[in-house]
Amino acid sequence: MAPSILELKNLSREVKGRNGEPFVIFRDINLSVRDGEFVSIVGPSGCGKTTMLRVINGLIPPSTGQIVVDGREQSGTGGDLLMGFVFQGAALLPWRTSLNNVLLGLEGRGKNPSEARDLARKYLDLVGLAGFEQHYPHELSGGMQQRVNLARALAIEPKILLMDEPFAALDAQTRSFMQLELLRIWSQTKKTVIFVTHMIAEAILLSDRVVVFSHRPGTIREEFRVPLPRPRDMEVKSDRRFVDLENTLWKLIEEEVKAAGGFARL
Amino acid sequence: MVKFYCGNSRAINKVLSILCGLVLWHYLATVIVADTAFLVSPLAVVSKAYEMLFLTGELYPHLFASSWVFLYGYLLSIVVGVPLGFLMAFSPAVRDYVHPWMTTLYTTPRIAFAPVLLLWLGIGAGSKVAIVFLGCVFPILINSYYGMRVVDREFVELARSLRLTRLALFRKILLPASLPFILSGLRLALGRGLTGVAIAEWFGATAGLGYLVYFAGQTLNVPVLFVGVTAFGLMGIIGFEILRKIEDLATPWKTSHPR
Repeated sequence: MAPSILELKNLSREVKGRNGEPFVIFRDINLSVRDGEFVSIVGPSGCGKTTMLRVINGLIPPSTGQIVVDGREQSGTGGDLLMGFVFQGAALLPWRTSLNNVLLGLEGRGKNPSEARDLARKYLDLVGLAGFEQHYPHELSGGMQQRVNLARALAIEPKILLMDEPFAALDAQTRSFMQLELLRIWSQTKKTVIFVTHMIAEAILLSDRVVVFSHRPGTIREEFRVPLPRPRDMEVKSDRRFVDLENTLWKLIEEEVKAAGGFARL
Repeated sequence: MVKFYCGNSRAINKVLSILCGLVLWHYLATVIVADTAFLVSPLAVVSKAYEMLFLTGELYPHLFASSWVFLYGYLLSIVVGVPLGFLMAFSPAVRDYVHPWMTTLYTTPRIAFAPVLLLWLGIGAGSKVAIVFLGCVFPILINSYYGMRVVDREFVELARSLRLTRLALFRKILLPASLPFILSGLRLALGRGLTGVAIAEWFGATAGLGYLVYFAGQTLNVPVLFVGVTAFGLMGIIGFEILRKIEDLATPWKTSHPR
């Protein structure tokens, strides 16, 4: 058993609701992630999974609980750069080329410029964008923009990669290709990944472990180990074990949605 | 019809538009109005401008006077408006203090201030620059403020996620993101600034295009009046072209700007 690199202890987040009462977004999150593990978080929309990812990254503070990375408790955005965040919209700066977007996280970190550029190029190569270094975001397709987004997060060489529904805005075909690309990139970098998605099949295809969130307030409903060998490709989707797990997960989420008052309330 | 919107033919459209306007003007002046006390042909304006530029040279002092007043007022508005707009975006307190003054002064006709400013600052350059400044500063201020406010939230989260310093956030994200808004504020200010020059020079000036136009109007010297008005128009066009060049240089990621 590899040591855990990320530990969430009793994590919760609440905000003031419209009538002044506390509104709980998620609560009682206890999760331990091994080094190099790929963990997906699935759940009905509005269950607080994206908010949790933001809390883990220190972008918003938790109301209670701790985030421990590599044995050290994290607080806010003050500490070292340990996590790379892959945004849902690519969040690329339109005035920067691909290369300069990837360089954003490397600037001013004591690296000499040519070293930083080599690193940025290396990760652009890794995500398959060699030759697109000087392109501006508007010159890239949606899939390519997400590749730059991923390269930017990887370039800071974080311990943990946090991915917030990065393929949600892509068309079905591009999404499938990006999933395969992510499998390849993950196998090459061996990063620890926390991957938030609402797509069950995507979660199973990519992950070692799938965590199901309940409806609001989000809590961990159940965890599943994905019993499929790696390397995986699209054929794994017709594997009996894949289909079984997909059905189990779907029923669970359906229950959650019903408990919340049906899908019209989503 | 698509080809009308491509490169060269669009430039031709502009030239055609100007030519049509000039022809219409000439026709109106010589055939319909046919009274040089009311309206003169563009040809008369051109010959008068030629005379004032190359024979008597009497246009230059007016051009220089107006240009200086405009430039001082305009640059002063940038120096004051941009940082103040940023401060408003960052600090609710500054916003609360500036906002009522901004809305009041922005919507009050500047011509109402002109006599007061003359009274306070005298008929020298100070009052004229102040009138131009009052015209220019608010569009620049409002756009700088607004540009900062509407920066994509995700960009700010990105900066936080990458643990950028506050200075880096400002320099690498907020400033470039709001630049197009600031430039559009500068464009709005251009027209208001030139109007400001005209207003300022109508009251107690001894030189300047506004003075020239006013004086020509009083003495019913229609050709000179039109030379002055045309000079204002040309200053506007030149200003717009300079701003467009700056915008092209400053925002190279944009493929095309409206021309």
